Amino acid sequence: MKKVCVIGAGTMGAGIAAQVANSGTPVLLLDIVRDPDNRNGVAADAVAKMLKTDPAPFMGKGEARLVEVGNIEDDLGKVADCDWVVEAIVERLDIKQSLYEKLEAVRKPGTAVSSNTSTIPLEQLTAGRSEEFKRDFLITHFFNPPRYMRLIELVTGPHSDAATVAKVRDFVDRKLGKTPVDAEDSPGFIANRIGTFWIQAAVNAAFDMGVSVEEADAIAGKPMGVPKTGIFGLIDLIGLDLMPYLQKSLTGTLPKDDPYQKIARGEPLIEKLIETGFTGRKGKGGFYRINREGGGKVKEAINLATGEFAAARPAPTVPGAAGKGDLAALIDLPGKFGEYAWAILGPTLSYSASIVPEATATIVGVDEAMKLGYNWKSGPFEMIDKIGAANLRERLVASDMPVPPILEAVGDGTFYRIEGGKRQFFGLDGQYHDMVRPEGVELLADIKLDAKPLLRNGSAALWDVGDGVACLEFTGKMNALDTEVMKLIGEAIPLVSEKFKALVIYNEGTHFSAGANLGLALFAVNIAAWSEIEKLVSGGQSAFKALKYAPFPVVAAPSGMALGGGCETVLNADAVQAHAETYIGLVECGVGLIPGWGGCGEMLERWRAMPGMPKGPMPAVSKVFEIVSTATVAKSAAEAKELGFLRPTDGVTMNRDRLLADAKARALELAEGYTPPEPPTFRLPGPGGKTALTLAVESFQSRGLATDYDGVVSGKLATVLTGGDTDPTEEVTEAQLLALELKHFMDLVHESRSQDRIEHMLATGKPLRN
Amino acid sequence: MQVYEAPLRDMRFVLDELWVDDGFGELPALAEFDTDLTNAILEEAGRFSREVLLPLNRSGDEEGCHLENGVVRTPAGFKEAYKQFTESGWASLAAGPEWGGQGLPERVNKLVEEMTCSTNLSFGLYPGLTHGGAIALEAHGTDELKQAYLPKMTSGQWSGTMCLTEAHCGTDLGMLRTKAEPQEDGSYKVSGAKIFISAGDHDLTENVIHLVLARLPDAPAGVKGISMFLVPKYLPKEDGTPGQSNGVWCTALEHKMGLKASATCQMQFEDSTAWLVGEPNKGMAAMFTMMNAERLSVGIQGLGIGEAAYQSAVWYAKDRLQGRALSGAKYPDKPADPIIVHPDVRRMLMTMRANNEGCRALGAWVARALDAEKLSPEPEARKRAEDFVALMTPIVKALFTDLGHENAQLAVQVYGGHGYIRESGVEQYARDARIAMIYEGTNGIQALDLVGRKLGAHNGRLLRSFFHPVSDFIAANKGDGPMKPMIDGLEKAFGALQLSTATIAQRGLADPEEAGAAATEYLRLFGLVAMGYCFARSTMIAGMRVAFGAEDKDFYKAKITTATYFFERLLPQVSAHFLSIKAGKKSMMALAEDAF
Repeated sequence: MKKVCVIGAGTMGAGIAAQVANSGTPVLLLDIVRDPDNRNGVAADAVAKMLKTDPAPFMGKGEARLVEVGNIEDDLGKVADCDWVVEAIVERLDIKQSLYEKLEAVRKPGTAVSSNTSTIPLEQLTAGRSEEFKRDFLITHFFNPPRYMRLIELVTGPHSDAATVAKVRDFVDRKLGKTPVDAEDSPGFIANRIGTFWIQAAVNAAFDMGVSVEEADAIAGKPMGVPKTGIFGLIDLIGLDLMPYLQKSLTGTLPKDDPYQKIARGEPLIEKLIETGFTGRKGKGGFYRINREGGGKVKEAINLATGEFAAARPAPTVPGAAGKGDLAALIDLPGKFGEYAWAILGPTLSYSASIVPEATATIVGVDEAMKLGYNWKSGPFEMIDKIGAANLRERLVASDMPVPPILEAVGDGTFYRIEGGKRQFFGLDGQYHDMVRPEGVELLADIKLDAKPLLRNGSAALWDVGDGVACLEFTGKMNALDTEVMKLIGEAIPLVSEKFKALVIYNEGTHFSAGANLGLALFAVNIAAWSEIEKLVSGGQSAFKALKYAPFPVVAAPSGMALGGGCETVLNADAVQAHAETYIGLVECGVGLIPGWGGCGEMLERWRAMPGMPKGPMPAVSKVFEIVSTATVAKSAAEAKELGFLRPTDGVTMNRDRLLADAKARALELAEGYTPPEPPTFRLPGPGGKTALTLAVESFQSRGLATDYDGVVSGKLATVLTGGDTDPTEEVTEAQLLALELKHFMDLVHESRSQDRIEHMLATGKPLRN
Repeated sequence: MQVYEAPLRDMRFVLDELWVDDGFGELPALAEFDTDLTNAILEEAGRFSREVLLPLNRSGDEEGCHLENGVVRTPAGFKEAYKQFTESGWASLAAGPEWGGQGLPERVNKLVEEMTCSTNLSFGLYPGLTHGGAIALEAHGTDELKQAYLPKMTSGQWSGTMCLTEAHCGTDLGMLRTKAEPQEDGSYKVSGAKIFISAGDHDLTENVIHLVLARLPDAPAGVKGISMFLVPKYLPKEDGTPGQSNGVWCTALEHKMGLKASATCQMQFEDSTAWLVGEPNKGMAAMFTMMNAERLSVGIQGLGIGEAAYQSAVWYAKDRLQGRALSGAKYPDKPADPIIVHPDVRRMLMTMRANNEGCRALGAWVARALDAEKLSPEPEARKRAEDFVALMTPIVKALFTDLGHENAQLAVQVYGGHGYIRESGVEQYARDARIAMIYEGTNGIQALDLVGRKLGAHNGRLLRSFFHPVSDFIAANKGDGPMKPMIDGLEKAFGALQLSTATIAQRGLADPEEAGAAATEYLRLFGLVAMGYCFARSTMIAGMRVAFGAEDKDFYKAKITTATYFFERLLPQVSAHFLSIKAGKKSMMALAEDAF
């Protein structure tokens, strides 16, 4: 698709347009004319607003330039140049229908038209349109915010053309990075139907059972494998006022005997909250509010019985296995906790199991939708497997709740199983079927079903991922890096040299790596195990450089955070295939340290090679100093290129599930006639350059923007980046630069203020400004 | 025979020489406590202990306490001694001046405590508990309560207790049942039964002020539902003198192994008027503020008994003539040589001596941290000192009391058959020392506190307060020279400590039982390394004093010899403990319960 048009510049439409732009595809964003003097104002304002929104809808500033704004009165004709039109206007059938009528006149044949509706059936949307229009029409239901939520529900009608649908499906998958899930044309589709039911069940039970909002959120949160905000925290986030709206829409369209009809109800307290402006975080607060009276900042929670706010009580701890994701243990907890968990899970799981195939053809669709659209850790059927289908049936019968046919059919079995190294799901036909991944989707999780690692220790593993490529996986907590990782790298190099063509560094954690295991390092500092720390730093340097100069290509494939040592892993690789949602940065200064695993030299090398850099030793040094001393983190792969963490030639993959295959392809491409790089040498400014950098920091300090100790830390960084006691006539080798890194890293780690910074970061997740 | 002379020279060494550079910085508030003043205090305390307290030690043990007509009577002479004790101001030594105390720094106070414990541990408990109660009251009580009670508790006119234990719960206080009912006037009525209450009732003071842990009616279950209350034996009248009896009485005295002159009572509270101290349901936290101070004091009890046992053993080893030295007669003019000529007797005496000097030096370091924690003008130094006290409290408590007990047993051994006979006096030490390993949290609990709470806290930040000074000391003094063997030995032992610490932290994270299985040996290993560090520092200073021709070079030479003995004969235990720790829990936990 060369160009896409999005009509409707509300939150969803604008967000969809931004994500299209993020894929590098030009997009036309249209909305109505509200101001005759500023006819494109609505769409233009939406783009401007998105540039200030956090989390950012755009991945980089350049992406915003791919959005062309217009209005439906003047610019609808431009739709003729577009391959896909996404309608995301107000949820009113008559207005949508009239827009489609106009579109039919201007679009070129074959241009896909889709609606982002969440409530109106497809059949009604296309009523009155031509056969041809109906062939090209489908529903593409995005989730908010479109950049970050990976689910798209695809709904097609009996007339939909398979080729058009395939075209859209392929685009949303590869270019927008979403996971399309096929849904039937039924009310609420999949995710919102279950999600609304779940929220309603949880709210009802809290009011009925006298469970406080803090207690409810402690149970229907992390222990249940749903977002840790908990149920009331989640409603605060999405907006209390949205609840009656969703409820009305579903009760109006679902059949009268649908179980949701029975539980849907208004709550006087919630209605009063909405009326008085307590619509959630976007309003004055919701079930929680921040009380700033008297200059303080107290988190308060509402008492559901009285409607009074009082200081939020600390969340009760859910004991034992029940607190750690064991759902059977959770519903078996004695007392209020277990009863509340069951009051939610019983009806919700029963309901979820009852909507296959009415809402989607297979159980896989239900699970995918809830995981990707509502951020559940496991889908409903995966949850049932954890509880045990037979166990759940017994409990449902005992609680006088319906047992859906599929739950009967599965008997004492599970909904998913591993058979012959393949993950299979239970079908409506009573048989198990292989889970089929789309072409180009390779997952380490699938490979692991049937394989043993080539190497493994407590913090890393090496896998054969096929086609002559090996994969280095980090496995520690937060994929933190430690001496074990370095040890495994040391063992992997001869093995990969001998038996493989290339290595990818990849894992399927939420984050690629948050860097060195700071907790372990701080503990070593606290027990004065200085030689261990020195070993960790120098061992990491050697391991990363050994990878860089190994006789095979190394491709790093990060996704999520790649910070500190995680970033240095990426920097030392021969090439990078990054997921678009990669957040990369050298954040060591924030904890009073400097990069110690070759990050300084690698960044100098990248900036030296950056197109348009002025000549001389200083410009690259200044840029790197600016980025590293402020612990700047790129908020996307696109931004990482702007900041030099990625090379212009490094690849970006939009769909997380395609990252491994893309990285492998990249690695195999490099493997043809591969020769390792030559170690670089540098000409660096030396002490004169350091003085210049220090002056800049001093000016920050004098304005109160940097602390005294920031000066100490960045001074060390400046020493390393400027090459220590060198001058521009001398060559500094990579090894000398590494030695400088090590020395100054060790100096800093001895400093009590660095130790305080590390401790504070570990305790609070926030940097200490000491 | 129980003999005692306060070890003033060694006390002055740890007070004035050893920790001049303790890493906590200057404490301007202590300027007035110069050497002349502290010397005078120590000398006088030594005299009082020897002349007043020591003579009552054995008689008190023989006579014990008696419950007569609902009143507890202490042994003969205690009342008079207590009167002298308070009148001479010993009771108010450590308390703050705002309540009439003398504000003596802990570094001096702990030495005085040691003397009291050496000469009459039973006696020492009465004022010791009062002091602990006063600390808790000062930290958590309302101004009204403080005004009413602190001046009299400080002077020693009234005494204090801590009422925690009940028949069914000791270590696990979460189960306690004593109730507190709120009254309309803001006071409470406390009802329940407590056991093992030291100084619960006695005839030394006109009133006894109990700090009682109890539950409010709506309190949550477990330790989070415990509150602390002040319950006086007699309700004070308007004029502050003891008035009406408050439903508090001693129902029985416990029959104990030792410490017989200390009244350990079963207490009954019936609708006793009480006042909340601290916040509702925060009683455990309030109790713990004094628990740390108390635990350090209990450690000092171990040292005190250890010192008394050593001195009594030395007296006997020189006095008792039996057999001849292995190398031939040393005293041919006498019918036999004194047993001190024998290597094995020397082994016992040197071990006791090294235990005492090592603990005293370490205790002095911790006492300075107690002072710095309170008095340093530098917030950083206060934090460091606080970390250090938190870290070292379980070590001081368990190590000192273990070694005190070991010393008492060694003393009995030096005495041979006579040691087993009451009249020798040393078996009393063996009995008295035993309880210190148990109360204020058993030594097993101390070890768990160390590995479970202290080791991992803030990613090991507490450890920094000990590990960094030791690491820096080793780094600064490494190299050839007379100190080489000692520094090398310390480095090796310190390495074992580092490795055990890392091992326990790592294994304990995955399996708390691993940490539990290593705890006791780890605490001892830690303690040995700490003593080693103290001895190495002592040797450095002593070596310089000898080289520069100090007056009392015999003291310094003996110090070096004792330190060398410690390094050669006692510190190697580190290796054994290290191996035990490394072995893990497996064989300890493998046997099925019904195989026991």
